Amino acid sequence: MLLLELREIGKVWSIKRTGETLVALQAITLDVTPGEFLILLGPSGCGKSTLLQIIAGLEKPSGGEIRFPQQNGAQKLTSMVFQEYALFPWRTVAENVVFGPEVRKVPRAEREATAQRLIDLVKLRGFETRYPHELSGGMRQRVALARALANDPAILLFDEPLAALDAQTRRVLQDELARIWAETRKTFIYVTHSLEEAVLLGSRIVLMTARPGRIKRLIDVNLPRPRSVTRRAEAEMVESIDALLRDEVKQAMDIEP
Amino acid sequence: MSASLLRKVGSALLILVVWQVLVQTGNIKELFLPAPLSVLDAMWAMTISGRLPWAVLVSLNRVVQGFVYGSAAGIVLGLLAGAIGWIEDVLDPWIAAVYPIPKSALFPLFLLWFGLGDSSKIITIAVGVLFLVLVNTMTGVKSINPLLVKAALDLGASRFQVFVKVILPGSLPNIFTGLRLGAGMALILVFITEIEATKAGLGFLLWESFQLLETKDVFAGVVTFGLLGVATTWLLQWIERVACPWARR
Repeated sequence: MLLLELREIGKVWSIKRTGETLVALQAITLDVTPGEFLILLGPSGCGKSTLLQIIAGLEKPSGGEIRFPQQNGAQKLTSMVFQEYALFPWRTVAENVVFGPEVRKVPRAEREATAQRLIDLVKLRGFETRYPHELSGGMRQRVALARALANDPAILLFDEPLAALDAQTRRVLQDELARIWAETRKTFIYVTHSLEEAVLLGSRIVLMTARPGRIKRLIDVNLPRPRSVTRRAEAEMVESIDALLRDEVKQAMDIEP
Repeated sequence: MSASLLRKVGSALLILVVWQVLVQTGNIKELFLPAPLSVLDAMWAMTISGRLPWAVLVSLNRVVQGFVYGSAAGIVLGLLAGAIGWIEDVLDPWIAAVYPIPKSALFPLFLLWFGLGDSSKIITIAVGVLFLVLVNTMTGVKSINPLLVKAALDLGASRFQVFVKVILPGSLPNIFTGLRLGAGMALILVFITEIEATKAGLGFLLWESFQLLETKDVFAGVVTFGLLGVATTWLLQWIERVACPWARR
């Protein structure tokens, strides 16, 4: 059974200052199956983050329908990992991770066991009592991931989670994400503007157009894991998508393709 | 001892010694500027007689009550106004109108309305503290990263939980800024309200000593006010460290 169905999703922003309207998303129709690592790939400003916020329920679509066929009860099926981490600075690592179960009033012993299990999963044992400002960017993003996992969501939403990190840290965390995806068997929906990252991580890539954001192409990535962008198959895949993506980036930058 | 500390202690000692010598050699009259040791003497005598401790107790009672009422109201209103648009709209004209008024100028009105007793003084102090705490608390709420609210909602928090678990802790550092400013304001206002229409308190003691030209006792009052200021600052800093262990200092 499908996990998420998007039907003709559109989003229009109205800019108060100028009175203009801006079409961010247009006719997004997409089915998400359980366990996939779905990449939303596109140039900056193509509305991929907006689409993610709509799936998270943090933004309302201007039109279209969004369905979670497997949802029963009010419990959300999604949790978000933000690019800027969005950790609570006044909470320690353990207190951040436990936030979701805490507001859902899960008994203390149970939620603390969950937090410890997830802190181990993201390899942050020993840092439970640190505050976010005492951690490196890569560690902060692992805390954010553990916090998102604590509600045991069916779908994890990632909004360019590694974009703010240096190249080496990003490389390590990409492998970590692939490992955690395989271990948890959860569905990942992952926004990025990096083609290499998309090929490295995704089981399917949704290539989006420049604004207004539409789906340009769906690409299955059936390469064996662990992957490496230096291997031939991966490199060829990057090569083949690159031309498509470059057209859209040029369009986004107002350059004739 | 570090060079920096040496300079600080040296500066303090040098001035005090020169001051003491100038008075003792008759270059300065004690009526205008009593020597440091005379002031210490006066303070000791006033402490033994109970005059000074009693005055401090009376003033502290007014300061603490005014500070607690004022800051409690300031925090609650500031959080609500910062988080809820229509409450801000309702409060805004009153804040704009009353904030710039020196609160000491309201004291005559409060005397008229609430009488000569402690309540008019406590209310003046409370109003002075309230506005400082309110404005800083509002600033604190508005400085919270909206992404944190989004993250809390995404993790399933209700509006009320967002208020208690995000808005409140997120604005604590600014609330403490307001409290520190408010404590200073409370000491200023307790002095002003004790000049007239009272027979007790540190401000009364200081002003009465001035009228009797007991300059040593005036100095004793000034020094005591200074010590109270230092003590409140330390106390608030300590509470802030306990309440906001994450805030880097």
